Amino acid sequence: MIRTELVERLRDVMVRSCPESVDWDEVDETRTIESLGIDSLAMLDLTYDLQQAFELEFEPEDLLGVKTVGDLLAFLAARVGS
Amino acid sequence: MIRLRLLAEYALARVFLGAVELLPAPLAMGAARRMADLVFLVHRRRRRIATDNVLASGIVADARAARRIARESFRHLALIVVESLRSGVEGSVNGGASAALVEWDVPASVEALLDDERQGLILASGHLGSWEAAAQILSLRKPVMGITSPMNNPRVERLVQERKPRGRFTLTSKHDLDTGRFFACLKRGDVLALMIDQRALKRGIEVAFFGRPAATHTSIALLHLTTRVPIVFGWCERVGPGHYRFHAEEPLRHARSGDKERDVRAILEALYHKLECAIRAHPEQYMWGHRRWR
Repeated sequence: MIRTELVERLRDVMVRSCPESVDWDEVDETRTIESLGIDSLAMLDLTYDLQQAFELEFEPEDLLGVKTVGDLLAFLAARVGS
Repeated sequence: MIRLRLLAEYALARVFLGAVELLPAPLAMGAARRMADLVFLVHRRRRRIATDNVLASGIVADARAARRIARESFRHLALIVVESLRSGVEGSVNGGASAALVEWDVPASVEALLDDERQGLILASGHLGSWEAAAQILSLRKPVMGITSPMNNPRVERLVQERKPRGRFTLTSKHDLDTGRFFACLKRGDVLALMIDQRALKRGIEVAFFGRPAATHTSIALLHLTTRVPIVFGWCERVGPGHYRFHAEEPLRHARSGDKERDVRAILEALYHKLECAIRAHPEQYMWGHRRWR
């Protein structure tokens, strides 16, 4: 999967899982996931949606070190081979 | 003004806890029962909520029977609170010090999960029987992490928590944003205990509880779907003073359909069905006084 496609798909998933309204054009890779209003419940939603959208079988605890949007992109890129 | 109120609450709690600890057990339990009767008599609003809830559940049809169940549930709540607070004094089962007065009504499949040190478990329970004892008893077999909502008065919260010996039962605040603690708990092979009958203030979904829509948290279903750790519905019946029976149902494993909403709903409906069956068998041990259907 090419990087731009990965970014687009991640953005779709995050828009769905994010409980707050966010100006997604302002979101860059340094933005923390917590600052997007993703609390523990939304994180569960996000985990489910990522597993589903990218057809990935990762353990949720693998996301423990993921703090920013960039971390999440790198995490997915390593698994989908982008 | 608020500071003064918090201090007054703290002083009252100290007096109450002191009395609970100093009185001999039969006297403390008798006093708890009479206090519950007094609250039931005086607190009209709470009494009405409890009685209306019993009627709405359809467990009984006439108001007199509903009122009797509601009063018994007030007494039951007072007894389990006092037992929980005295557990440190007496080293009872509730305190996790002894397994002598615990009966296990658990299928072989759950026994196997409990015996497997590496197997995590999601415990689904409700405000039925003694939920505090349920966690303490289960922690005799595996470490248990419970999710709690701290009291508004931090001094009282500290005072109460200091009196509850925990052992392998730990509590974590539901306001903590870190989801990783849940995943880590399950990964370690521990039990993560969640109450399924708390009203979801935001972002819950409506699921029928005794046939009426109730705002319900989706976390337990999402945890199961993302981790694939089995959910066990369990609860602790109070059989007598300091004497409990831990009931558990066959583990629930739900395969993903790809439709998140449908999967979450199916899991929550299955859990509510198990909780309803348990409540029907022991309605006097359910906490009817909270506004579940608001």
